[in-house]
Amino acid sequence: MTIPLLLLIPLAASGITALARGRRALELIHILSALAGFTASLLLAAGVLANGQTSWGNGFLFADHLSALVVLLTAFVYLACAPYAIGYFRTDRINQAFGPDEDGSVQLAKIRKYYVLTPLFAFSMFLVALSNNLGVMWVALEGTTLTSIFLVTFYGRPTSLEAAWKYAMIGGAGLSMALFGTILTYYAAGQVLGTESLSALNWSVLAGSASKFDHTVMRLAFILILLGYGTKAGLAPMHTWKPDAYSEAPAPVAALMAAAVLNCALYGVARFYVLTVRCLGPSFASQLLILFGILSIAIAVPFILVQRSYRRLLAYSSIDHGGIMVLGLGFGGALGPLGMLLHMTFHSVTKPLLFFCAGNAQQQTGNDSLRRTPGGLLHSLPVSGPVFLLATLAVTGTPPFSLFQSEFTILRAGIAAQHVGLSILFVTLLVAIFAGFFYHIAQLVLGPPSDYPQGETCRWKTYPVIGLCALVLLLGFWLPAPLYSLISGAAGVLAVHP
Amino acid sequence: MIAQLISVIGQTALILLFSPLITGFSRTLKARLQTRRGPDLWQPYRDLHKLLRKGMVIPDTASWIFPATPYVLFATTLLAGLLIPTIAAQAPLSLFGGVLAVVYLLALGRFFLALGGLDTGSSFGGLGSSREMTISAIAEPALMLAVFTVALGAGSTNLSTVAESAVGQSWRFLAPSQMLAFAALFIVLIAETGRIPVDNPATHLELTMIHEAMILEYSGPYLALIEWSASMKQMVLMTLLVNVFFPYGLSADGSPAGMLISVLLFVFKLLILAFAVVLVETGNAKLRLFRVPELLAVAFVLSALALISTFLFGGHGG
Amino acid sequence: MTFWQDPQFGARMITLMAALVLVLQITMVAQRWLVTNIRAFAIQSFLLACIASTIAYYNAATHIYIAATLTLLFKAVLLPVILQRLVSRIEIRQEIEPFVNVPLSVIISGLLTLLAYVVAEPLQAQTSLPGAAGLGRNTLPVAIALFLIGFFMMISRRKAVTQVLALLSLENGLFLAAISLTYGMPLIVELGIFFDVLVAVMILAILVYRIRETFDSMDVSRLSRLKG
Repeated sequence: MTIPLLLLIPLAASGITALARGRRALELIHILSALAGFTASLLLAAGVLANGQTSWGNGFLFADHLSALVVLLTAFVYLACAPYAIGYFRTDRINQAFGPDEDGSVQLAKIRKYYVLTPLFAFSMFLVALSNNLGVMWVALEGTTLTSIFLVTFYGRPTSLEAAWKYAMIGGAGLSMALFGTILTYYAAGQVLGTESLSALNWSVLAGSASKFDHTVMRLAFILILLGYGTKAGLAPMHTWKPDAYSEAPAPVAALMAAAVLNCALYGVARFYVLTVRCLGPSFASQLLILFGILSIAIAVPFILVQRSYRRLLAYSSIDHGGIMVLGLGFGGALGPLGMLLHMTFHSVTKPLLFFCAGNAQQQTGNDSLRRTPGGLLHSLPVSGPVFLLATLAVTGTPPFSLFQSEFTILRAGIAAQHVGLSILFVTLLVAIFAGFFYHIAQLVLGPPSDYPQGETCRWKTYPVIGLCALVLLLGFWLPAPLYSLISGAAGVLAVHP
Repeated sequence: MIAQLISVIGQTALILLFSPLITGFSRTLKARLQTRRGPDLWQPYRDLHKLLRKGMVIPDTASWIFPATPYVLFATTLLAGLLIPTIAAQAPLSLFGGVLAVVYLLALGRFFLALGGLDTGSSFGGLGSSREMTISAIAEPALMLAVFTVALGAGSTNLSTVAESAVGQSWRFLAPSQMLAFAALFIVLIAETGRIPVDNPATHLELTMIHEAMILEYSGPYLALIEWSASMKQMVLMTLLVNVFFPYGLSADGSPAGMLISVLLFVFKLLILAFAVVLVETGNAKLRLFRVPELLAVAFVLSALALISTFLFGGHGG
Repeated sequence: MTFWQDPQFGARMITLMAALVLVLQITMVAQRWLVTNIRAFAIQSFLLACIASTIAYYNAATHIYIAATLTLLFKAVLLPVILQRLVSRIEIRQEIEPFVNVPLSVIISGLLTLLAYVVAEPLQAQTSLPGAAGLGRNTLPVAIALFLIGFFMMISRRKAVTQVLALLSLENGLFLAAISLTYGMPLIVELGIFFDVLVAVMILAILVYRIRETFDSMDVSRLSRLKG
């Protein structure tokens, strides 16, 4: 029963929010829905750990370890963003980011948009991970785009419109490729299973008979799926919408997109990866994944090195991490998928922290430029400033932080798969990214005090930062056993031995 | 041998005598659609008769090309007419050449007509010739492509074979390659016969005229030959369209009853096509000269698509 | 058996309509007038609905009728009306100077059609089913051509509305592909896709309107402030 519950909670939250009056009511409903969603996702994960797969509605929705992990991470990011959003929009009101606003009605309209659309956004992401039918999964992923377009145009600046337009167009074109890939998969499956029943697009059914699918069709289908869902995940060279959308959206939305939507898109790729590997053997899919992975990491390097805005810097870091995860999947074997999913988990914890710090810094200084900010955030933001630096170290995979472990796992998978040259390239690129990233953020955070307002402005913005920071530090040293077994179970779904 | 001779003579007579009637029919119909009374059906015959009796004025500057042009034009057009199947699927001179010969005979006539326009050195003639060649430079590839498409479907460039292969295939004209090629050829027909979106046969307005500008210096019997050739060319192209795409009633046997039905069907098909052309003429305004290439480019694209769709749809395309 | 019950006749009609769909797609590439483009899209969608219902008729398949009806209602009527209103509201009628000029665009479209044929050939090899069950299988190249030409239109046009139309015609290609390969997707997926397309067009229409208000133009090449 947790599966329909998970979908109902955000839907209900969105509906109630649309009707509720008053800012406090909106905030309360949002926090409660986030808590309820996270609890339900924990229940689902516990259920999957205890009983293996569960399904609902004649196998229409289903959850194995992989789905449960993605749902858990999505719900976690959603939960982390909920309190932060409250503080973020309150500060926006104080900064008059919405223009003149005497009685708060403009702000109320704006944040109502956020509080209505974000649960729908979360609903789409849950549906991506929980739908068994690959067609429904596509519909849900398109839903994540549709629900987030107006979150990107939240501030209504000309640049936000530009970002939203690119996001909608590139995303739409990309997803149409993925739909084509889904149609081709359905066709391949229909030749074996017959298209009369609804189940011919159900992943759990397809996975069982994928070895009998037509090779030509599946090859074309996987290329289209990788291009399509890769666009949604922001893999190079389809990544161009990402820096724009991430830098224009409000920080909590950007955090959701960077940490949760990325997982969902890669989840879509992973599901088709399993089918493709069972049909064609591992080498075809792996080569493509490695190609896109390395390309994404490599493309992030120059843009990170010469970046002028730290919000865009984070977007390029997201492209880089998407590339790392895809690379892990591409390396394959037993370690590759494990490394990918560990990385996905740690990234989902670390990335929101970075976006929160960046959001705090941006609201404090009024811009997100690395050039115009003279440095010294350490003094004006006594909490977010140092944490920003710490999170930078964490996200670039510096030991002892957790992302180092997952990157190391992926490296071991690469060497195990005898991609030594690629592994060396991988490490080199990571070092370059670390250098660029750390240089920029250190410039921003360290330095003598500047004349920006002193002190953290809102505890709603500070507490999530402190909490996430503690969690990041904790994960560096201790991974809870149930979480690890969930991740390794999910890796078991992906590790296909032909 | 005798039968061959009869068919040659018969078709020559048919084309010579029937073609002015189509011109007359088009003019009358057009006048009626514009709620004018207009000339009656036989006016082109009277015009030809009148012109043939008149004297001629030949410009001093004209060389041998000027008097040669009407004869060449007349001969090539008539010859082209003998290469296409009209009443029987077997064209009288079908062994002599296929559709390429038809296209090139018409092109040869046009070439001489353009030379004749240039020959006198008058500015109108030059203007008409240059316009005519501009248009034909685009119309001809479209015509060729469309014709090739049809030939590809039939497996031969011989028009008799093409027409015969189509007999008995009831839904053949629904094939996209046939439809698209027909549409392309229809546009080419309008351009080649100088009809309204492209040229206006009824005007001597210097800004727009094409065909009339070329033949401005001709008079008397020469003009009659040229006008007659224009009628025949129109009939040749129309016959090409109706008999290649809708080869119903092409009599296979030589029985008199069958022949009669064939003749009636043939006339009926030609009149319907002429009606369609007149409808286009009345429904549209003349295009600016610089827009004409765009229209012909459409014809070219259509025929290219026709060619593509012969193989694009597997068995059903051609 | 009257002639229209003969699957052979159905196959002819479907092929012809598919060819017209392709012609309309190339019309959209070659046309500058937005209103003409919108109408071309509406007719194209109408023809797709006809193809789907022809297949449904010969195979007596109800779920294809539903897909055909949805296409007719949404893509042939509702979306063109929305776009038409949008165009009359923002008062821009022509595509001025596309990035690639018209003759070249048409030639590229032709080449893309050939590419579609090459791609579709290996996929079609196994689809030669006899009689009614094989109807419409030969439209796959057209579907892929619509998809590719739609993509090309998206990147070669400046006007936001044209880009939306390109996205929609690309979607039409996918619909035809689904019809041609598998006789449509499962109903729930089909409904979801239609819902998504409808919502997407509404959102894009709002975006176009706001871009027009903000930039006093809907030339997307003006959207170039975000770099690096």
